[in-house]
Amino acid sequence: MLNYVLRRLVQSFIVLLIVMLLIFTLPYFEPNGILAPAYIVLGTHATPQSIHLWGEQNGIFHPYFVRFWNYLIQVFVHFNLGHSYKQNLSVWGIISLYVPRTIWLALSSLILTVLIAVPLGIFQASRRNTTFDYVATSGAFILYGIPAFLLGILALQFFSFGWPHLPASPPGNVAPWAMFTDPAGFILPVLTLTLLSIAFLSRFMRSAVLEVLVQDYVRSAKAKGCSRSRVLFRHAFRNALGPIVIILGLYFPGLLGGAVVIESVFNYSGLGIQTVTAASTLDIPTVLGITLLVAILTLSGNFLADIMLGVVNPRIRIERSGQ
Amino acid sequence: MSDRPDNLVAPSSVDLTGGDDTNLSDVIVPMWRQRLRIFAHNKLAVTSVIFLVALILFCYLGPILYHTNQTDQATALNNPFNAPPSLKHLLGTDSSGFDELGRIMFGGEYSLSLGILAGMITIVVGTIYGMVSGFLGGIVDTIMMRFLDALLSIPLLFLLITLIAVFERSTVFLIVIIGVTGWFGNARIIRGDALLIKKLEYSQAATAMGASKWHIILRHVFPNSMSNIVTVATFSVADAILFLSTLGFLGLGIPTPQTDWGTMLQNGSVQQSNGFWWEIYPTALLFVLLIVAITYVGEALRDVFEVRLLER
Repeated sequence: MLNYVLRRLVQSFIVLLIVMLLIFTLPYFEPNGILAPAYIVLGTHATPQSIHLWGEQNGIFHPYFVRFWNYLIQVFVHFNLGHSYKQNLSVWGIISLYVPRTIWLALSSLILTVLIAVPLGIFQASRRNTTFDYVATSGAFILYGIPAFLLGILALQFFSFGWPHLPASPPGNVAPWAMFTDPAGFILPVLTLTLLSIAFLSRFMRSAVLEVLVQDYVRSAKAKGCSRSRVLFRHAFRNALGPIVIILGLYFPGLLGGAVVIESVFNYSGLGIQTVTAASTLDIPTVLGITLLVAILTLSGNFLADIMLGVVNPRIRIERSGQ
Repeated sequence: MSDRPDNLVAPSSVDLTGGDDTNLSDVIVPMWRQRLRIFAHNKLAVTSVIFLVALILFCYLGPILYHTNQTDQATALNNPFNAPPSLKHLLGTDSSGFDELGRIMFGGEYSLSLGILAGMITIVVGTIYGMVSGFLGGIVDTIMMRFLDALLSIPLLFLLITLIAVFERSTVFLIVIIGVTGWFGNARIIRGDALLIKKLEYSQAATAMGASKWHIILRHVFPNSMSNIVTVATFSVADAILFLSTLGFLGLGIPTPQTDWGTMLQNGSVQQSNGFWWEIYPTALLFVLLIVAITYVGEALRDVFEVRLLER
């Protein structure tokens, strides 16, 4: 097991280094290239000489790989992601200000999704080709065809401007856990994100359980007289857990991407809105810093999913650790 | 492998040993006809194709019949803003005074053409990358797949936003970045195909006869994964349209006065609390139908290439 974990850890780290190399290289292409921070710091009337001097003082003219090494040290040792061009804050400051809100949004909708989609998928699989299955499947299909922002617009239309006058957006400058003390404003964003995820996960869950239901051990369980629910939960569900664990790990980036759109629709001031604002105001260090953070979160999600998969399925950890 | 397009499949009822004077070519149905028949069986897919053709005609020929100003912002200011549908403006006007019906056609042109072009880029790049990686195997495959892992670990929307922030924004640039960020999944699928086909007898026979790697990739692997490529291409176009519209909705899409359906929906949603329904629902309806229709065509194509269905 330890061997397996270590191998995966090394792999993830290599992937992270490639990601960081990409993110480190991108500023070379921005307007003014890597000297852009100099122009921001020194202002519009800076002379070429002073720009050059600033660049030399800050090690901008070092060779590419020396700069990359400094960047790695800066990120991993000092947690320094640079300084925002537009806001008087460090990028790390912006992130730590807004990330809890996005995490709460993503996590609460993830938990709701699992609580709803998993039983729904199992139920659909066990009652395959019944009216309920058809209704649920086509519902998921339609939801899948509607882009996230449109679902948000419709939700606003029906539940905020329509009859139940739910607040269109959550309160702005409140503590991240305001979700539990003052939930009304959070209902729409969380539920919209949840609905999107359910459309995805329930389809997956249904096919995972269907695949297990045709296995020999399920037939044996039925033959020896197990009740339907016992077959479903003791035999089918346990074996369908593996794919679900993977998909939750892989789904996390999708959830963050969805959060960007949902935050914009409902004006939920979190990381997503910050990213979009930074991109449209060309605040490049902020965009790159947030992207790096999201990539790290995604990699950790994939890593955890793989470890969990190794825990629930011994065959995989033996096969992949090359024994 | 009976999956070659020039292969002929005989219905099992035909006596191929001869005996009567039936001309074989009359009885044997060419593969593409059988496939067309399977496709035509799928009513939903046929309806979708008809809808897509109608939509393309609407967007590209519509402006000839229903001529409106969509590019000159100064002239548009003479129109009333946010006017409800009337005889002069069949679907009303938007918040800049542009005629909404004409705007839907105009934006649709961009959504469709950009989506198709970007989708094509994703499939070309994905196919080449996946085939080379899967076919060459070994250390090349490992390196190429680790690189793909790195790209996949940045959520696509964040990657797009990052590229938009760094580079200068223009219509061509949008096609390119949606193209160059959309192929990762395609490459995975095509790589799986290449890995599979490499192991089949005809590829091995070709290797044994001394064919070069590139010859095998071009003459054996590529034609035999064509079915997957076509199906994946269909979904890629839908994804490209979706990403383009999402960027448009976030305000990072096509620069004004050009527009696409996502940007239009963004402008409409600003007016949502005022109840200007004509600025949202017609566009939204067409948009959802477009995505659903492309998805149905893709699903039907997948069935068409499913060899097991051929002998129905």
